[in-house]
Amino acid sequence: MHIENVTQIVQKYRQAPWRAQRQWIGLFLLGLVGVAMVAGIYVNITTRADLAGRDIQIVNDEILTHQQENADYDTQLASLTSTDSMMKRAEAIGFQPVTPDEMTYVVVPGYQPKGPINMSSAPQLSSAPLILPAYTESLFDWFANQIDATPPSGGQP
Amino acid sequence: MNNAFGWRYLTVAALLGVVGLGVLVQVVHLQTSPEAQRITADNEFYNFTWKTYYPARGDIYDRNGNLLAGNKTVYEVGVDLHTTFDANTVALAAQMYLGLDYASAYKMITQPDAGVVYVVLKDFVPADKAEALMAFQKSVQNDPTGHNLAALAFKPHLERSYPEGSLAANLLGFVLQDGRGYYGVEEKYNNILAGVPQTLLVPTNPNQAASLPDIPPGANLILTIDRDLQAYIEQLLDKSVQDSGAASGTIIVMNPRNGEIMAMATTPRMDLNDTTQYATLFPGSTPYDRAISQAFEPGSVLKILTMAGALDSKTVTPDTTFLDTGVFNYGGATIHNWNDGAWGLQDMTGCLANSLNVCLAWVSTTMGNDPFYSYMKRFGLGHLTGIDLAGEVPGRLKLPGDGDWYPVDLATNAFGQGVAITPIQLVMAASAIANGGKMVYPHILYAIVQDGKQHNLSPQIVGTPISADTANTLNNMLAVALETEGSRGLVTGYRISGKTGTAEIPSPTGGYDSTQTNASFIGWGPTDNPQFMVYVWLERPTSSIWGSLVAAPVFKQVVQKYVVLEGIPPDSIRLQQSNGH
Repeated sequence: MHIENVTQIVQKYRQAPWRAQRQWIGLFLLGLVGVAMVAGIYVNITTRADLAGRDIQIVNDEILTHQQENADYDTQLASLTSTDSMMKRAEAIGFQPVTPDEMTYVVVPGYQPKGPINMSSAPQLSSAPLILPAYTESLFDWFANQIDATPPSGGQP
Repeated sequence: MNNAFGWRYLTVAALLGVVGLGVLVQVVHLQTSPEAQRITADNEFYNFTWKTYYPARGDIYDRNGNLLAGNKTVYEVGVDLHTTFDANTVALAAQMYLGLDYASAYKMITQPDAGVVYVVLKDFVPADKAEALMAFQKSVQNDPTGHNLAALAFKPHLERSYPEGSLAANLLGFVLQDGRGYYGVEEKYNNILAGVPQTLLVPTNPNQAASLPDIPPGANLILTIDRDLQAYIEQLLDKSVQDSGAASGTIIVMNPRNGEIMAMATTPRMDLNDTTQYATLFPGSTPYDRAISQAFEPGSVLKILTMAGALDSKTVTPDTTFLDTGVFNYGGATIHNWNDGAWGLQDMTGCLANSLNVCLAWVSTTMGNDPFYSYMKRFGLGHLTGIDLAGEVPGRLKLPGDGDWYPVDLATNAFGQGVAITPIQLVMAASAIANGGKMVYPHILYAIVQDGKQHNLSPQIVGTPISADTANTLNNMLAVALETEGSRGLVTGYRISGKTGTAEIPSPTGGYDSTQTNASFIGWGPTDNPQFMVYVWLERPTSSIWGSLVAAPVFKQVVQKYVVLEGIPPDSIRLQQSNGH
């Protein structure tokens, strides 16, 4: 009698089979959603990385193109200001070459005659890589770098 | 009922499970099988491509920063055989815009070699032509009949370009399509200008994109020449060659203090943007730059070196006298003066002023073989000057002991016969006289610019063949000689030292042809503080054979231009300035 009562009580409070199935299905779906989210994030990140990489390739090509264009423009400019063309332009607006007889020399104290050109330019950009490590390193690399960069505890005061 | 369907459900579930498991096993198998590894390896191969980066060739500037040699964009036009295209249309476009033969273009793209996926139709296509073809390609891209040019590919790259055309052509040299420099600066400094091409494995996979490799471009060069002076002396040289009826001409302008070549012109010159002229303008053994590549008997201008040696060895002094009878017998030969005349009693300045062969032959023979040739060698005769231009030749100084040297050579060498030198050798040797005995290294490179830094080259002294006293004495003698002679090379306001040269040209059959000469003049100034040295050489002039008549006036015009361009005031003003400060 006593055992029967216990069995009845257990049966009363036992999950209905359909409820247990739903729980399992729910858990499975939850896992599936989790996997899908991770996969989605992975696809998203990978796609963005690929797009950034493609942009870098395009920019690299543009850099080369611009370098070539700059060289081309320099040469075109030099052609436009060549001796021959400058002489023609000067003559066209009424100038003529000066002769020694027409020169007047004036003594200017401290004057230093112009020397050859100095083409030294401003300091160059550093040769550090143009692509930041964030675009190339893996998550593992990032963790490793962070750990390496973390100062040891108990350091100097 | 439930039990009846239960085993069926279990069976279906088991089957699905087995299938699912099979799929998983197969997925793992595909990822780990040897074939998978091979495919992965192949994929790695296609993820990268070998690409050669050619650094832009360095620019060349004159001393004032004017561009003499730069680069311009040209195109390689090719056909991507992977793309569907109409061969007729492509071949026709190649004929119309690239000047190719239709049949050969058609054959190139319809019968490519096995495995070829890209065919180059033409390289080094000028930008205007390539852009016209691009515009045509765009205009037919939507042709409903399919006659489009989508398969055409355009790859821009750089080609050498010379904005000044033929200016300084002989000293610049040129670059052919192989990217290598020929002659002049382009050849001498080819390695510095060209930089170092690098072939790298470049990722094509955007997921592995990398930044551009750090390939330094070729260094830029700054030359010592002044573009405006160069243009002027070229113009003057062409006119002088034409007026005098000369076969060719050469002018060198150098700073005797530091050896900087301020201008150097020879004939012929070609437009450096059209190297096809080369074969026509320089047939056979025609030297590309006579200033450094053509040795000839210089004649009387060499007397300055003979006199320098004689003064320095104390064989003579300026006051030493010589009785010129018009004839000097030595080594079995009889030497005469340029006019076959006898000039009587002369001092050494008179010998130079009247350019007396007899006197100078006496001087050299009085010196003797060893001292005379020792001085000639110290002046660099028979050796390369080392000027930084490709194609220099050493000339020839026969020495006692050589199979073709005869005793008479000692006498004739004294006035520039029987010895072959280049114009640049004479200029370098004469710099010792103008520069207090110090002979300077003639050079064309002023500085190298790389990584934004300019490295200036220091002047070099290559020797001290004579003492400062000798140099100053001879310097003054040569000024007096010109003034005594009333030379056409004298320039109002500036005291000039110099010497004419009229050298008969050796005949191929032996002896000398007195109707054909090398007319020349070398001079420098201001005498008390030389800042320029000019050498003019006209080969076989017909209007007059005399250097004093055809070469000296050219020297004068060069100096008149030089002092204006470089701002060198007349001696009176300059000395006034020096005294005032």
